[in-house]
Amino acid sequence: MNATSTADHATATRHHERDDFGELVEPHLDALYGYCVSLSDNRHDAEDLLQEALIRGMSGLSTLREPGKLRSWLFTIVTNTWRDRLRARGRRVSTTSLDASSEDDFSLFETLAVDDPFPYSDELHLDFLRLFRSADVRSVFRELTPVHRMPLILTAVHGFSCKEAASILDVPLGTILSRLHRGRKQLERGLWDFAVRNRLVEVPEDD
Amino acid sequence: MIDCRQAVSRMWAYLSRDPGASDADLEQHLGTCLRCCGELEFTRELRSRLAGAEVQTMPFEARARMQRILHQVPPPEMR
Repeated sequence: MNATSTADHATATRHHERDDFGELVEPHLDALYGYCVSLSDNRHDAEDLLQEALIRGMSGLSTLREPGKLRSWLFTIVTNTWRDRLRARGRRVSTTSLDASSEDDFSLFETLAVDDPFPYSDELHLDFLRLFRSADVRSVFRELTPVHRMPLILTAVHGFSCKEAASILDVPLGTILSRLHRGRKQLERGLWDFAVRNRLVEVPEDD
Repeated sequence: MIDCRQAVSRMWAYLSRDPGASDADLEQHLGTCLRCCGELEFTRELRSRLAGAEVQTMPFEARARMQRILHQVPPPEMR
């Protein structure tokens, strides 16, 4: 094979790999985009993040050792790209929540049962969740510490198991289990505070 | 046997356990505690509400841009 045909062959192989990558990734584009939006400050940043992650994925396709794990491999690339972009902007992923001391003790389930904002309801807890528009839930969710938000997104929104989420975020399983609980508590506290602040529920005044 | 506090702290993870994985002491607790069964149901609803709120639809322009990257097609103005 002469130099030209070797170059042509290399180009053809690259095109072939690119097409393969495109075929593999297209079914996951919406989920990846959703994950990028959850991680980013705005949609423009989310698109840039996804674009950069796709370019990385394309050049690193050979590192995908188990094709059955394509989806978690793609989410790992997005996560790493997001971390690198934060680092490049001089920001780091905060690991402490704003009010870590009180949130573990708060129980929304219990609070609703005790304060009983819907005295005639047979579905007290469901009725509470129905008060929120999706935009309200999103705005509360955005207030969570990112390290607690991410495991919740990966498990509840994208259906990954705890082990898969630990692998995507590159942290031990025990850390994920604790962050899932802390994140859930932050979410519960945030929803309750939002409901009280916006008078979605009426609660008895403290004496 | 685990108590209610420990049970609640494991509920979100329980709903995201690996296929086939068991959580015997939590399940044993749930078998005897009506309050925690309610809390587990509430955890399920909370996850579902969050999942519904976080689902995003990719704008058409963004999808076209990503498809161009995936298949390395130059944008219309460069063709």
